[in-house]
Amino acid sequence: MADKSKKGMEFPEFTFEIEKGKVAEFAMAISQKESRDQIDQIYVDEKAARDAGFEGITIPPTFQTCFALWSGGGLMPILQELGINLVRLLHGGEEYEYYVPIHVGDKITCRTKVADVYDKEKKDKPGKFMEFTVLETEMKNQKGELVIKSRSTLIER
Amino acid sequence: MAKELYYDDVAVGDEIPAYTSDPITRTHIVRYAGASGDFNPLHHDVTFVTMFGMERVISHGMLVMGITGRAITEYLPQKYLKKFQVRFSGMTEPADLNDMGNTAARSKLTVTGKAVKKYEEGGEKLVEYEVQTADQNGGVKITGTFIAALPSK
Repeated sequence: MADKSKKGMEFPEFTFEIEKGKVAEFAMAISQKESRDQIDQIYVDEKAARDAGFEGITIPPTFQTCFALWSGGGLMPILQELGINLVRLLHGGEEYEYYVPIHVGDKITCRTKVADVYDKEKKDKPGKFMEFTVLETEMKNQKGELVIKSRSTLIER
Repeated sequence: MAKELYYDDVAVGDEIPAYTSDPITRTHIVRYAGASGDFNPLHHDVTFVTMFGMERVISHGMLVMGITGRAITEYLPQKYLKKFQVRFSGMTEPADLNDMGNTAARSKLTVTGKAVKKYEEGGEKLVEYEVQTADQNGGVKITGTFIAALPSK
């Protein structure tokens, strides 16, 4: 059964700087392109981003997934803390609310907490449960503005 | 880059243009691993996945969500996007380069979606859309929603 005492647990805050090269690399990966000339220029070119209504080069809508992976110490410390076995881990869902655009050069501070922990009985195996852990992250920029709120649902099968 | 989109021009039931990915290869997966920092061996190391009975590596769910996001930002200017949420409902196995004829369909993803609700809230004109990402065999990978705050004419 899921360890419900983990609900409310907070992880150490960390800060991630939005680097130009990293944004282009990520945009190329999700666009399946080999060169930055072939992707949406709002992720590459200052002028294109301004023309699209941003104050500078912006990030793809799912880029923030790498904040924790690159500067929070990666997924493993989180899983260890939660007692989740990597081999049994599934990504159940992901949700983002966007408040203020993020631009290259921003420094984003992330605060993650365990928002919920619950069990669900397996449809095909009555009496057997899957354990759900919902992580909620608040991301603020260097001006202290809330930029994104995210919720990740991790499933241990 | 997406063209301008007005609240007045969207009707409930309107479909977003379908977006189809290239067949996902192991190279795409490795590129995404490097770009995102997600080095879970499930996505690139077959000696890891065979330990628990899987035949081949699978794509990151977040690469599939990233591709789904591409469809959205091709359809509407990204600055209008307020919310994007998905549930992962199926794994995506990459195409095998030595057997593209039989394996491309399982890894080539098409994103479709439609407007389901128009409403005003907090002084904003909002449209909610449903979105789905599936392979060419009908295997659904993602079901989700996104909400955009659109300008009026």
